[in-house]
Amino acid sequence: MNDCTNADIRDQLPDLLHDRLTVDVREVVVAHVADCADCREELELLRDVRGALLIRTPRVDVGQIVAALPKPAAHAAPSRRFVRMDWRIAAAVTFLAVGGSSVALLERTPSGNRSFPDSNVVAAIAAPGSAATDSTSTASATAATAATAASSIAPTASGASTGSSEVASGADVEDAADVSPGGRFSGLSETQLKSLLDDIGQLPDVPVTEPDPVTIQVNTTSPDGQ
Amino acid sequence: MTDPARGSDDRRDLELIARWKGGDERAATELVERHAAALARFAASSGERNDVDELVQDTFVRAFNSLDGFRGDSSFRTWLFTIQRRLQLDRRRAEKRRRDKDEVKEDDASTEYDALDTLVANETQAKLTAAVGRLSPTQREVFSLRVAEGLSYKEIAEAVGTTEGAARVHYHNAMRAVKEFLDE
Repeated sequence: MNDCTNADIRDQLPDLLHDRLTVDVREVVVAHVADCADCREELELLRDVRGALLIRTPRVDVGQIVAALPKPAAHAAPSRRFVRMDWRIAAAVTFLAVGGSSVALLERTPSGNRSFPDSNVVAAIAAPGSAATDSTSTASATAATAATAASSIAPTASGASTGSSEVASGADVEDAADVSPGGRFSGLSETQLKSLLDDIGQLPDVPVTEPDPVTIQVNTTSPDGQ
Repeated sequence: MTDPARGSDDRRDLELIARWKGGDERAATELVERHAAALARFAASSGERNDVDELVQDTFVRAFNSLDGFRGDSSFRTWLFTIQRRLQLDRRRAEKRRRDKDEVKEDDASTEYDALDTLVANETQAKLTAAVGRLSPTQREVFSLRVAEGLSYKEIAEAVGTTEGAARVHYHNAMRAVKEFLDE
């Protein structure tokens, strides 16, 4: 069995067999095959091989295959897991957006107003102490601090200082207002500071953040016993 | 060279896929009917003898589960061939690991293929089947897709994971080998 020397035509014989040539190309190939014994023989061989392969096609159960396929409705609908993830993603994006905006706003706040968060903390700490002591000076200091916070948005501290703010002088309030994150407690007298520290020390549930002291025993004796 | 017959087949497949996505389960039945036999033949030509039914079913299940990934760049049948071939390779690797053997040799696949000769009653067909069975696995895959399914070299290359030029060379080498076997 010989091969035709026209490789292009031989390449297209399977396409001719499957009737997959355009009209123009088909005419050319058919005309060649009509005059070429080798191509006719090869085309006949292709037809026989195709027949042999088709006959030995393994049987498959179409119904069984279709039954195993996923349902189109389930395919189209998003899964519950995806829906849950969708809400989680939305919540995370919202959290990041709100948090980021808050940080940006704080960063843009003028430095003169930056004392607010820290003075608020001081007020929150000091206000309960003012109710627990009878000292007028301590009361005025803590009340002044609380008043500073009360002038902004700390309702808890404001409410706690209501009783003692009546005895706070205007000067004390002005001095206490100087308390800033930079540690400017110079406006408070030594007594006031001491009282404030005592109050802080009496607060319950203050977590221990410092490690216990470690005792190291140093042996001063030399290795040879001297 | 255009392919009017293939074009209408492709359009029909795309139409059926769209119908199935729209909730029409009968479209799936028609899609399976159109392509199951070709997939079974391809499985056999690749040396798959056992569980052809299961392999074809797994191919369809995987295809329908990832229909959103089918963009229609190739024909639906070529895409199915590609999926099935990957499944076959996975199975062979798993089987290889299970048996703790070396790679499946080409002779092994040929032997399985030759064993089917008894199913072919006609003597000429038996000889042709034997000739195809003597081809290397890649030659046999390419030759079967070209002769039995009428795929272009480009489609064959996509299905078996090779280049268009390599597919053409495999086909002509296979044709020469078949002729030589029949001339013996």
